[in-house]
Amino acid sequence: MIQRLSKGKRSLDRYIVLGLLCVFAMAWVTPLAIVALSSMKTPREQSQSGILALPENAAMIFDNISSASELAGIGNGIVSSLIYAFVGSATAVVAASSAAYSIAMLKIRFPFFWFLIIYSGTIFPFQMYLMPLFGLYQSVGLYDTRIGMLLFYSAIAVPFCIFVFRNYFIGMQGEVIEAASLDGASSFQTYLRIVLPMAKAPALFLFVTQFSWIWNDFLFGQVLAKSDDVRPVMTSLAMLSGTYGKGSIPQQMAGALTASIPTLILFFALQKHFMQGIILNTAGE
Amino acid sequence: MQAGGLPDTKQVSTDPLSNEVSATALGEASVDAPKRAQALLRTIEPYLYLLPALLLVGGLLLYSVAHTFAISFTDWDLITPPSFVGLQNYIDAIRDPTFTRSFSNTLIWTGGSLLLPVAGGLLLAVVLERIPGQRVLKTLIYLPAILSTTVVAAIWSYVYTNNGVLNETLRWVGLDALARPWLVFAPTNTLAMIVAASWRALGPSMVLFLVGLQTIPPELIEAAKIDGAGERILFWRIKLPLLRPITAIVVIMSVIGSFMTFDLVWVMTQGGPGRSSETLAVTMYRQAFIMWRMGYAGAVAVILSTIVIAFSIFYLRATLKRSAL
Repeated sequence: MIQRLSKGKRSLDRYIVLGLLCVFAMAWVTPLAIVALSSMKTPREQSQSGILALPENAAMIFDNISSASELAGIGNGIVSSLIYAFVGSATAVVAASSAAYSIAMLKIRFPFFWFLIIYSGTIFPFQMYLMPLFGLYQSVGLYDTRIGMLLFYSAIAVPFCIFVFRNYFIGMQGEVIEAASLDGASSFQTYLRIVLPMAKAPALFLFVTQFSWIWNDFLFGQVLAKSDDVRPVMTSLAMLSGTYGKGSIPQQMAGALTASIPTLILFFALQKHFMQGIILNTAGE
Repeated sequence: MQAGGLPDTKQVSTDPLSNEVSATALGEASVDAPKRAQALLRTIEPYLYLLPALLLVGGLLLYSVAHTFAISFTDWDLITPPSFVGLQNYIDAIRDPTFTRSFSNTLIWTGGSLLLPVAGGLLLAVVLERIPGQRVLKTLIYLPAILSTTVVAAIWSYVYTNNGVLNETLRWVGLDALARPWLVFAPTNTLAMIVAASWRALGPSMVLFLVGLQTIPPELIEAAKIDGAGERILFWRIKLPLLRPITAIVVIMSVIGSFMTFDLVWVMTQGGPGRSSETLAVTMYRQAFIMWRMGYAGAVAVILSTIVIAFSIFYLRATLKRSAL
């Protein structure tokens, strides 16, 4: 009897907790709703109507996007950032997987030393890279070019990729050696035909995480680019937003929304990889 | 044992996975030139795979680190050639009240991020663990983490402006007295931005703690319950101690992240007004790219790196230990 009573009380507690959690989660995503609503209003409507009031004409969002684009080059930024994110993360995945292949499976001297050299690129705060890169890019003509941005984004993504690939390759060493010796394949054939196909899962996961990292970058776009054609999307968005931004609030919110679409799509399409991503990112498993 | 049907001149040289081949080839007494070239290629070939990664990381990243370090001992405005000044930039920084303020703001960021996303994430994970519908709630709370910091900064700038979301809401519920300009006065502006950053950081730390909780053997919890342990004892005596490895990782990551805080502050306040909300990373950027004091900026970057690397070593030890298991 007593037990049943306490059990009933416990489940009531559980419902209260669940209710509180739901309220919390709803409040948590309210800013996202506000972004969506404000991006569909005219500046005047936005300042006069309530924050959660529905917009009069939802199609206003297209006006806001195009005027935001005119003001800060959001449209150009999206094109540039798509190129950087696709090509940069693909380059990093290829460079890192081949290096990790050499470190984990081929005969080289001091493999751990080479690994540490490349992996050490993750340890430093970005502030250590800014001035020399700016100077270097100025002097060799890479400043404010898409090639320059691509080279940097590829480089910055390599260290984490090599960390994941090395762990993965060490785990599958035995199988590959067996398959390769049966085949008598050259080292390049082994890499191309055995190792890479077996590493599809980490390659996809790394491509997604590095894609969104590059897409979300603001700082290096700010330092290494200036023109509308080269500036990545987040750096353009920053010109609209904040205390010193030059856009109206609906323009800022429309810009923020547009700039988030690719990563939101990726997240919902590959939710598992994302969650796994932060675990890998931190736990290094 | 050559692969059939694949014409490849290097084929003989190539079984990379057995060292015997290369050892005998190198040891042969009477080697003719092509054979020697082949042997050379065989030893070099594995290193070629390293080359692209090494060039990218070495040429752009590690070169920059070394150069920044060198710059920090010079006086340089990017136009006239740099002149060596020894430790002067470091001394200037330590004596500079704006540097001190920037440093203390960074410490506030560190403390605030430990309190909100880390402790908050732990609390949420423990509560969420046994709740039905966990998945949906988890996704909702995680959602802001997908957004770029710049987007978060844009959203929260709107939340904090004078007629923004927060003040309007406060007025609407009758708390007019609480409405204020959130980003103008220190330390309110820093605290307000920490809240914005936590909106983004809470989800990932919650997910990590949830993963940690899953690794606790259920028998252990059952046994403790049978012994009459309540929720509170269960948390303090069993869950928290067993979560230590993951807690270490989340804490160190949060500290490193706090020390590198830049994007959010730059977009929201540019470190102002009157440099009152600068963090170390913002100070570095301002010194380098607004004031063109490269040497001073280099010193700030080196100080920042020393702190971050010290924590990274703890972090690496924690993660490498985990992956070794």
